Amino acid sequence: MNREDELFLTRDFGLDHLHRLETYVSRGGYRAAAKALKTMTPDAVLEEVKAANLRGRGGAGFPAGIKWGFVPRGTDALRYLCVNADEGEPGTFKDRFLMSHNPHLLLEGAILASYAVGIRTAYVYIRGEYESIARRLETAVSEARASGWLGDHIAGTGFGLEVFVHRGAGAYICGEETALLESLEGKRGHPRLKPPFPASIGLFRCPTVINNVETLCHIPGIIRHGAEAFLKRGLPRDGGTRIFSVSGAVARPGCYELPTGSSLRELIYERAGGVRDGRKLKAVIPGGLSAPMLTENEIDVRMDGDSLVEAGSMLGSGAVIVIDDETPMTLVLEKITKFYAHESCGQCTPCRVGTAWMARIAARLRAGRRRNGDVDTLHRLASGIKGRTLCPMGDAAALPVLALVAKFRDELERSS
Amino acid sequence: MVSLVINGQRISAAPGTTILEAAREAGIEIPHLCYHPAFPPVGTCRLCAVEIEGLPKLEPACSTNVKEGMVVRTESPRVVEARRNVLELLLAEHAMDCPICDKAGECRLQDTYQAYSLAPGVYAEDKTRRGKKIALGGGLLLDRERCVLCTRCVRFLESVTKTSELGVFERGDRSEIGCVEGRLVDNNYSGCLAEICPVGAITDSDFRFKTRAWFLEARETICPLCGRGCAVFLESHPGFPRVPGTAKAYRVRSRRDERVNGHWICNVGRYGYGYLEKSRCRELAGPLAKTLNLKAATDVVAPLAAELRALKYKGRQTRVAVVLSDWLTNEELFLAGAVFRRDLEIGRCHLVGPRDGSPDGMLLTAERSPNRAGAKALGFNTEETTLEALARDTDLLIVFGPFLQDRFRPADIASAWAGVKTKVLFTPRDEGLGAAFDLVVPTVWPAEKDGSFTNCQGLIRSFSPALAPPPSAVPEWRLLTALGRAVGLNPSFYIPFRSAGDVRRAMP
Repeated sequence: MNREDELFLTRDFGLDHLHRLETYVSRGGYRAAAKALKTMTPDAVLEEVKAANLRGRGGAGFPAGIKWGFVPRGTDALRYLCVNADEGEPGTFKDRFLMSHNPHLLLEGAILASYAVGIRTAYVYIRGEYESIARRLETAVSEARASGWLGDHIAGTGFGLEVFVHRGAGAYICGEETALLESLEGKRGHPRLKPPFPASIGLFRCPTVINNVETLCHIPGIIRHGAEAFLKRGLPRDGGTRIFSVSGAVARPGCYELPTGSSLRELIYERAGGVRDGRKLKAVIPGGLSAPMLTENEIDVRMDGDSLVEAGSMLGSGAVIVIDDETPMTLVLEKITKFYAHESCGQCTPCRVGTAWMARIAARLRAGRRRNGDVDTLHRLASGIKGRTLCPMGDAAALPVLALVAKFRDELERSS
Repeated sequence: MVSLVINGQRISAAPGTTILEAAREAGIEIPHLCYHPAFPPVGTCRLCAVEIEGLPKLEPACSTNVKEGMVVRTESPRVVEARRNVLELLLAEHAMDCPICDKAGECRLQDTYQAYSLAPGVYAEDKTRRGKKIALGGGLLLDRERCVLCTRCVRFLESVTKTSELGVFERGDRSEIGCVEGRLVDNNYSGCLAEICPVGAITDSDFRFKTRAWFLEARETICPLCGRGCAVFLESHPGFPRVPGTAKAYRVRSRRDERVNGHWICNVGRYGYGYLEKSRCRELAGPLAKTLNLKAATDVVAPLAAELRALKYKGRQTRVAVVLSDWLTNEELFLAGAVFRRDLEIGRCHLVGPRDGSPDGMLLTAERSPNRAGAKALGFNTEETTLEALARDTDLLIVFGPFLQDRFRPADIASAWAGVKTKVLFTPRDEGLGAAFDLVVPTVWPAEKDGSFTNCQGLIRSFSPALAPPPSAVPEWRLLTALGRAVGLNPSFYIPFRSAGDVRRAMP
């Protein structure tokens, strides 16, 4: 792999001061924006992104171009872009990596998305804990404004965009796109009923595009080098690279950018240095905490959306959490269930009560107070949550438990 | 119209209707807790999930609109399993203190569990202890162990009263209803909260621990406490056969009427039912009752008719004054007009009702009478009168209703009317006013009779008795019919009137 490949988001991350506008511009920054605004119609930008079939990097993997296409066209009605920088999925830390090293890349992506959809106001909803990154983004916004990359008449054209950085208050659920909208509007971060979808009724009841940070960071590359180049870097229908956040029992945890479709085994053993302290790999959560875990003999899988679904899991946010053979599964179960019980918004019954109930059982198992039927109850509770909640968080809470119960039932039943 | 199939039954519904409403119109009830027809759906209780052919997941019926050709199943094994699952979860964290819960017997959770589950609980964890008697203001108490977090209360205060005193705090299973910034619920519609709470989480101290829901008989009537005339249910206990006097009104609940009050009633109407019992006039009273040896209320008719007829024959009907009230029904006012104005040609027919209060900008009107519009339409003078004007050159004074006392002190009435030879009062309530009269005849409240009112919007709505009156009390329309007949100036006119409905049909 060529580290100089311009389609790699992290290409210049070794440079000092990449987060400053001059450095970014000196490395070709804002050239995609200039090209699009001066030589392409908004439709042409949209078509290019559609052609690149850029799958969302936030978790659901929905193609960004198609999402943009849902926004009603041919009107001047107000519409918004929301950048989802809430990055709450446990194990995921790629967006902070991107934003702290290269905030202007995100801004350029936001300019291109806004130009394509006819948006004049964008909000970056960033998780509250990322305080210093929010400040860095704000600095980047003022730099961009001062040099004409934001504000009215960007690059001397008739297109204008304002970007506002908004910090969340520390709720996982606000990474769910409609809860994010509610939170931005100043309300409790409760997911909305869908339909209507945000593309028709979103922020302040206006059509709204919501994209993940990493997704937007890919747009400048797609516009500069074309959809074809993007699709060559990766898989034919799932192009580009992905930044995998690898954590857990590995020798070298961190962010690794690889072409979509790279091998999970290679990511763990070659990039992240394999399992720490000479231990053995027991299980891997391949796509953020809500992704069903894979066992040691299931990790010869390609890291792309379709391959992981085939393997019974999901790519999610691309966060790989490695669990070694000395970690008891009751501990893993306790961590997972406790997290979702704590983060459930409490709006709908299955998630509110189901997650709390599972967490209580898990805490007992961990404390060695197992009762007969506990594992069956866990399975029944998780099944009762899956597919039956108002927002996808129900599935997020249920899927990892179902996988853990299915794959490590013996170990759970041996506990106590 | 959209045509769809629900449980094998072909039905049609207007586009934009939800599955839940379309099913309800077709007589198929889909259990639910958070949905309330007055609010946009929130889809959070998940109890109303139904199966839609072609869709992989169950969908909430409350928030899914009907579509042409849709095939919906609300009782399939998958649906019932999901419903049971939700019930199990709700009950896992529920207080289960139904034996001491006011809502028992009319609780959506209890009813749905009874209809669909009856499964034993398997929740083996410790239940979270939560606040059980949190004062919310307006006499409402919150029991967080019973709360199912449907947020109906929060949404009511947000969208109906727009006062937003309640909110949801914390999240997950720590979520709880509470007062926003410590401000208690304080509005004229707070009583609706206990009513829309689908479980016993919000109870009303006006009703709390007084009786059990299953003892109550709910009958339809119209609230008489202002000019709006909200549709209500008056709920009463029929009484224990061996304990006399135990029949009693316990509660007023709103009844849906989209033309008038929608789903709501105000606190004045909800908590004001005490007037039904207070200072109730139960027996014939006054010195004249003894002199003339009158026993029953209807015994009054003959001597009064004789007196009126005599005055009329002598051309002295100018010496009669009549006071009516806008608490009388249209039928009664019509009869009073026929007897006193048409037949007897009495010029002095006044109308005295309760004093006006202040309107609340929503349902409650300034006038605190149910039929001022009807009285006006029948040509009665609603201008205020004085005690002196009523007493001047008067030999016989006939008063309907207790409302003179709202405007004058009984002592002033007695002294002003000392010169009036005969004074007769027809009233369901006597708080001392009767002492100024020679004869006090017990009558009934609107809730205890047939009739119709014309509300402030000009809508004429009829009602039937919702409550049994005291045994000796007689409805005014019956007394007036008898009086008209007995006066004998136009007897055949009154003969067909065997019910208030008969009178209504004879009205223009």
